[in-house]
Amino acid sequence: MKQTTVGIIGAGRIGRMHAENLVRHVPEADVTAVASPHLDDAWAAELGIPSRSTDNGSVFSDPEIEAVVITAPSGLHSELICQAAAAGKHVFCEKPVGFEEEAIENAIAAARSAGVQVQVGFNRRFDPDVCALADAVHNGELGVLHGLRVINRDPASPPIDFVKRSGGLFFDFAIHDFDTIRYLSGSEIEEVYAAGAVLIDPAIGDAGDIDTAITSLRLANGALCSIDNSRQARYGYDQRFEAFGTKGNMMVDNTRPTIRESFLEDGVYTDLPPTNFVERYREAFIAELRAFVTCVQTGAPVSVTADDALAAVRIAKVAKRSMIENRPIKVASEYEVAGSSR
Amino acid sequence: MNKITIGVVGAGRIGTIHAGNLLAMPEVRLKSVADPYLDPDPWSARGIAPTLDPEDVFNDPEIDAILVCSPTPTHAEFTEIAAEAGKHVFCEKPIALDPDRIRRTLDVVDKAGVKLQVGFNRRFDPTFARVRQAVVDGEIGGVHLVKVVARDPSPPPPEYVAESGGMFLDMTIHDFDMVRFLSGSEVDEVQAFGAVLVDPAIGEAGDIDTAVVTMKLENGALAVIENSRKAVFGYDQRLEVFGSKGGVEAANEAPCQVTLRTAAGIRAENPLYFFLERYQRSFIIELEAFVASIREDREPPVGGRDGLMSVLVGLAAARSMAENRPVKVEAP
Repeated sequence: MKQTTVGIIGAGRIGRMHAENLVRHVPEADVTAVASPHLDDAWAAELGIPSRSTDNGSVFSDPEIEAVVITAPSGLHSELICQAAAAGKHVFCEKPVGFEEEAIENAIAAARSAGVQVQVGFNRRFDPDVCALADAVHNGELGVLHGLRVINRDPASPPIDFVKRSGGLFFDFAIHDFDTIRYLSGSEIEEVYAAGAVLIDPAIGDAGDIDTAITSLRLANGALCSIDNSRQARYGYDQRFEAFGTKGNMMVDNTRPTIRESFLEDGVYTDLPPTNFVERYREAFIAELRAFVTCVQTGAPVSVTADDALAAVRIAKVAKRSMIENRPIKVASEYEVAGSSR
Repeated sequence: MNKITIGVVGAGRIGTIHAGNLLAMPEVRLKSVADPYLDPDPWSARGIAPTLDPEDVFNDPEIDAILVCSPTPTHAEFTEIAAEAGKHVFCEKPIALDPDRIRRTLDVVDKAGVKLQVGFNRRFDPTFARVRQAVVDGEIGGVHLVKVVARDPSPPPPEYVAESGGMFLDMTIHDFDMVRFLSGSEVDEVQAFGAVLVDPAIGEAGDIDTAVVTMKLENGALAVIENSRKAVFGYDQRLEVFGSKGGVEAANEAPCQVTLRTAAGIRAENPLYFFLERYQRSFIIELEAFVASIREDREPPVGGRDGLMSVLVGLAAARSMAENRPVKVEAP
């Protein structure tokens, strides 16, 4: 089968990672163009990308390009999806697609009318460990699902500038967990209660955000779930998942660079977890792009869509409101109109 | 120093365990055991005076301390009678389900000037005590999150459920105490989601069998407890405290640390079956602490106020679930 030609929109940290993964690990893709306002031309040239520009238009107007990877700043994502759709290109878009539902709905509508696919970068869905947990839930190995636990703790707080434009912890960070809960359970989230706190850095509070949270959720299938988030786990990127059902409990622990154990005079030591998401989800970042390119080639529907992004943003919005108003909130009570129109 | 002379009131399952543990303690003389349904012979054979009437224990001038292990509705009254007779009291949890009843009992104990320890045995579990020590020693820095998973291996019969005061006061009460113990902070506010997922008969008895309870603590930390009345793999008792310097976590304990590797898979032993197995050592250590506090004239490590606070948190949780809103914990 012929390679799928791909253009990269936005070559920041994540954009460069995706471009490198496509070039090195997805032979079905041919990255022919990259556009980014502060493009590191030497990097792109080294990677063998022939068309290099600071203007996104050069990618959208290139008739050879079938698909784009959108890794520009979050605030531009939905508008760039609309532009890509207008140019007839399939889209892989980093999360979040948008902070406002309207922007995401516009992107969904644009993609739908253009007949292009949009896959969203909820990378956990492609992590082999998370997938195995999801399989166990979905194939009944754990019986009827009663609960999920997600632990998602960053190794270090992001810079305050990032915090200010991130949309806040629920939109930027816990949004992955809301999607993971939906993915693992195969159920929608019905009710949310979120407790948040500023315990790590007062500057995060001054910026109007929180750095620590516990979110409890009631799912439509009856299961009760918990998510805990922290912006600063001193021992590394803490990513753990559990599913509890009538037939048992399954846990996914942190990965480690090596699996050695050292028995020493003052204790038994293992390696720390990976220090960042690029390392922890290395395989998932490759697998999600490979899945995307395969869907573009075969016409099969992508497995994680802008509708999933919309659902996760709605939960983020409900969680934030729950925290501010200090009450559990039923998702349907916020989205009756939107829910029924869909 | 002379031995401490102890009487046990109530010789059901937990009373019998406590009595057996007391017998093994060299600094204790277990003198008598009272229970209306007592079979006297096995006790007499061990040199313990059996009686059907608790008054015989309360009125015995030789007895220094009494263990109240009778059914829950008698705890408050028996604690008061024992205190007024000048005996130190070890009372099983809960002292009562009504906070005002507990307050009255605590007043009586206070006026009598005797010591009162409440049976929150898990504080004395060596694993959990080590977790608390990591917090006290500052190994994990300031506390940010406290997480407790507590799942029973099988649900109690519906008749028990109807009398238990509900899951939050019967089962989660231990976890509320654990959150207070591990964090060193009071609980300010509680929000509880509950569900009937294990057995519809529990729902018909007016209770729940599954819950996720979120708490805001007075020190600013957040906590969450996850409960189920039925984990098919055994008693699931895990906890974690996470802080500014790191985290400390307690895993389940198995009867032995064996891993079986075959073509069919790699298999470890299930967790210890239930609380009698899992917390066996804690029952001994809590009594040692009680006896030491009498002998050394110190405050018992877990007292009447702890007994009251855990009930207040449990009642806030029950109310939160009923009214579907976060509820502040009542002042002691």
